[in-house]
Amino acid sequence: MLNLIRKDIVLQKNSLLILLPALFIFLFLERSVIWVGVIFCFAIIMQSFALDEKPSANLLMNSLPYTRKEIVSSKYIGACVFTFLVLLTIVIGNLIIHREITQWDQLLFIASVIVVFISFAFPFSYLFKSQYLMMACGVLFVLYVVLVNTFIPDLGDRLRAGVQTILSFDNSLLYAGGILAAVLLYMFSWMLSIRIYSRKVF
Amino acid sequence: MENVIELQNVNKAFKGFELKDLSISVKKGFVTGFIGGNGVGKSTTIKLILNLLQPDSGDVSVFGLNYKKHEKEIKQRIGFVFDHNVFYEHITLSDMKKIIKPAYKNWDDGIFHQYVNLFELPLKKSIKTFSKGMMMKASLAFALSHRAELIIMDEPTSGLDPIFRRELLDILHDIMQDGEKTIFFSTHITTDLDRIADYITFIHNGQHIFTKEHYKIEEDYAIVKGETNLLDRDTEQEFIGIRKSNHGFEALTTNKQRTANLFGDMVILEKPTLEDIMLYTKKGNDNYVKSYS
Repeated sequence: MLNLIRKDIVLQKNSLLILLPALFIFLFLERSVIWVGVIFCFAIIMQSFALDEKPSANLLMNSLPYTRKEIVSSKYIGACVFTFLVLLTIVIGNLIIHREITQWDQLLFIASVIVVFISFAFPFSYLFKSQYLMMACGVLFVLYVVLVNTFIPDLGDRLRAGVQTILSFDNSLLYAGGILAAVLLYMFSWMLSIRIYSRKVF
Repeated sequence: MENVIELQNVNKAFKGFELKDLSISVKKGFVTGFIGGNGVGKSTTIKLILNLLQPDSGDVSVFGLNYKKHEKEIKQRIGFVFDHNVFYEHITLSDMKKIIKPAYKNWDDGIFHQYVNLFELPLKKSIKTFSKGMMMKASLAFALSHRAELIIMDEPTSGLDPIFRRELLDILHDIMQDGEKTIFFSTHITTDLDRIADYITFIHNGQHIFTKEHYKIEEDYAIVKGETNLLDRDTEQEFIGIRKSNHGFEALTTNKQRTANLFGDMVILEKPTLEDIMLYTKKGNDNYVKSYS
């Protein structure tokens, strides 16, 4: 399993060498750490996923002495590793550029967003293909807009207010609950992906 | 004799194609050639053997083990070569080695570099710059570097130039010398098999037609040539496939001796090639297609 994660890092070596320094530059220009962090994490994780989606890559991985369970699990653990790498870069970047220590709740927020996003993106991509992910996001967005305009005109405001309320809580119990929910979602998605992948035909 | 691969009553159905009650065994220590036309189920069978596909029913066992319990153990002992490139194209051979090496317990860098030198493969060039022949050589180097006991190849010689095809067969011949290894490979270039195969397994339309020792095929099968008036409803039953023309008929028999006894001097018996056997079996299945040449 470790080998599979190492494989993803070897394959992403060049991208990481370009993307992580680019992240430094972004940090220098932009102060919105959350937005930049989420985008970078997602880009790296999905790129690594897309690389193994080709039939030939599946053929290779499944012919090597790995089980399908391990192949899927390596993607889920690998996603955590990549997220950690990006967060680490952000922390180091902020320390060097702005001489400040990044707030831990910001990092936690990025990680949570990624966890939730991956929980939906991976099973979806195993079932269909990651290239349809953008399409699905587009469709969902249109649906969202239609729903909002017809049924709940002030949904956006309500959501914003909701998020504000949650963020303004300074309650560690609430944080713990949120993290637990995200972890459970991730686990569920993990199991689901294993089920989907073990039935795949190459 | 010990069987390395055993398929028992395997069924697998896809849209418009199915493997029907396929039972095949591959003997340890020999080269088995796996022949059949395009789209008759060769690749599907190989995928079943590698557990890339699971059968709808029936059993697949390799080294006497089943995949449900011993998947990794089995795969540790198999070397595989596919007819197209399965490696990541944007990285170098040396990076690819970094990915494959840790997967195998018995990986031997010495053997790998020996083959890389023998095949004159560049370690520092990205794999997408490799020619078809180089890809095949790289696949072979990977398949042979972890002391695999069973080497499974899907059309390894297709698309290769004749010189490298010969070299490849020589290498396979060398690998077989210790008597411990087994090679199972599919091909439709049947002349490759004349050089190397001990056994031939033939499938057609998802069904197992025969597995025979190579030399036995010539003993059993024969191409029969004679006057068309020798054929009637009864004698036609003797043959698998018949080709009739204005000059006479040509047919394939599976029982050379019986045919010789039946027709005596009235027909000519010739050695069939594997291609003849494939062709006539297909014809037989297509219900004695007539051709007028």
